[in-house]
Amino acid sequence: MVAMRVLLGRLLQLLLVLLAVTLVVFVLTQIAPGDAARLRLGPRASPEAVSELRHQLGLDRSLPQQYLAYVNRVLHGDFGTSIDGQRVSSIIGQRISDTLWLLLGTLMLAVPAALVLAWTAAWFRDRSVDHVIRLGVLLALFLPAFWVGFLLIRLVAIPTAWFPVADLGSSPGDLIRSLVLPSLTGAIILTPILVRSLRSSLIDVLDSEYIAVARSLGVGGSTLIVRHVLRNALGPVLTLLALNVGYLFFGVVILEATFNISGLGSALVEASAKRDVYTVQGITLLFATGVVLANTLGETAVSLLDPRTVSA
Amino acid sequence: MTDTAKIAAEEAPPARKPRSRRRRGDGKVAVGMVIVGLFVLAAVFAPLITSGHPADQDLLNRLAPPSHAHLLGTDQLGRDEWTRLVYAIRVDLRVALLGSLIPAILGSLIGIAAGLGSSWLDTAIMRTSDIVVSLPLFIFFIALVGLLGPGTGFLFLGPGELPLIIGFTVISWVVYARLLRSEVRRVRSMDYVRAARLGGLPRWRVIGWHIVPNSIGQTVVYLFVDVGLAVVAISTLSFLGVGIPIETPEWGAMIQSGRTVIQTNWWLIAAPGAAIALIGMGLALIGDGLDDRIKS
Repeated sequence: MVAMRVLLGRLLQLLLVLLAVTLVVFVLTQIAPGDAARLRLGPRASPEAVSELRHQLGLDRSLPQQYLAYVNRVLHGDFGTSIDGQRVSSIIGQRISDTLWLLLGTLMLAVPAALVLAWTAAWFRDRSVDHVIRLGVLLALFLPAFWVGFLLIRLVAIPTAWFPVADLGSSPGDLIRSLVLPSLTGAIILTPILVRSLRSSLIDVLDSEYIAVARSLGVGGSTLIVRHVLRNALGPVLTLLALNVGYLFFGVVILEATFNISGLGSALVEASAKRDVYTVQGITLLFATGVVLANTLGETAVSLLDPRTVSA
Repeated sequence: MTDTAKIAAEEAPPARKPRSRRRRGDGKVAVGMVIVGLFVLAAVFAPLITSGHPADQDLLNRLAPPSHAHLLGTDQLGRDEWTRLVYAIRVDLRVALLGSLIPAILGSLIGIAAGLGSSWLDTAIMRTSDIVVSLPLFIFFIALVGLLGPGTGFLFLGPGELPLIIGFTVISWVVYARLLRSEVRRVRSMDYVRAARLGGLPRWRVIGWHIVPNSIGQTVVYLFVDVGLAVVAISTLSFLGVGIPIETPEWGAMIQSGRTVIQTNWWLIAAPGAAIALIGMGLALIGDGLDDRIKS
């Protein structure tokens, strides 16, 4: 019952936030100068043709009306058409898989690496290992991801010719090979951010009373770590990942630009350079929805995992 | 050994170690200061350590390797890479400083208001900051600035610099607001602040004399880190073609224009990236060292 109520509350909150997100995205793209109809038809189109298209696109209506029409279209899965006349939904459909692969690859490397580093630092707290890890992680925050990517391309991909450096492969083997360097680069940016907060939550768990009780009862070694410490640290890991999803998406945009991968991120950058308002709108909305969903999922999972947070 | 000698030996004060006046974190601060200081000096005296203007082209001498005349070689338009690298410090540091100081001041004021104001105000500010944190602001930034274009310069700022500063302000005021709020709450309940209030010190004086000076430490620590992160963000965005135009001497833009010749003239990419990482790490070392000092 309690879980149900929590879920319903979250769902309602989610709907409100998503509505707010559509408003933000709509306003963002309205600030852009220029007339979408004129941009589409080019400078030589007749004024009649432009006003005809304006009417078709609904640009001659008031802003609130346009916003309502926009929400209505989005609810029906219609994101409009790009400047080149392609449906934005089909652009997203073509491009989304590469982005998801990059996200997956990055997470698969970054999360275990962050766990190991944070765990080591927490276990050897205030000893030299801990200091080295903390300083290294702090300094790694300042490595520009695209630069790390180019160094890997120049020092690893080009000399060895093992890893393709443009687009993801289609066969499973090629796909994995083409994901190695981008995921490694992604992990180099994401891991430091995770380690810093993870270390302190692991220390909190290690210091907690139930660990002391478990130890005093003779529980030790791997049982203590797996059953008691890691289980209680799972919540912080999920929360932390959910909080950083927005940053992770930005990271994927950088990875796609660096490694010439045609996912959603490069589609967004290309579209905004071309003033392709509808494509920008569609992709931004998708990323923002992803962030909101991830946050909600993270919070829900944490509260279901840990009964203490439900009552609070 | 006689008893008295034994006692004397026991009572003799232990050989006193010359008590070092160095505190924890001093080493980090020193290294950081040297790195950042070198960058700042180079930016100030840029004309003295470079030859010519960063936009000067020498089309007969394109993609030259490093030499005495061109320390880091030349780019595709024959522009001297070292000159551009040095002048880029001015662009990157100017935007990073303003893009961190403005949110720091604004966020701190908001945080103080949240920490001292009514609970209604506090809730409103904290909820707003929750929402800001959870939105993909960099994605919004790419969308908005990409559509708007870099615009023209503003006062002493070059094209594309003002949108970056505004963007960073929207993104990072939150950190400062939360920091100041929790610090204000911590300091407010301390005995001497209570005493000052009970003693009849006016509210604004309590804030100005006791709460702010005590809360400022962590803010300064984070400010150093934030300037470094801003340099990374500026260069990343201009690498993506959002913000500062590609022809500007700016580290991210330089890496973007060098990417086509990565195989032959790799230093055109290696050098600007190393500059970004180095100045960021220098700033972080200062911040981290100051943090060690505050905590020890």
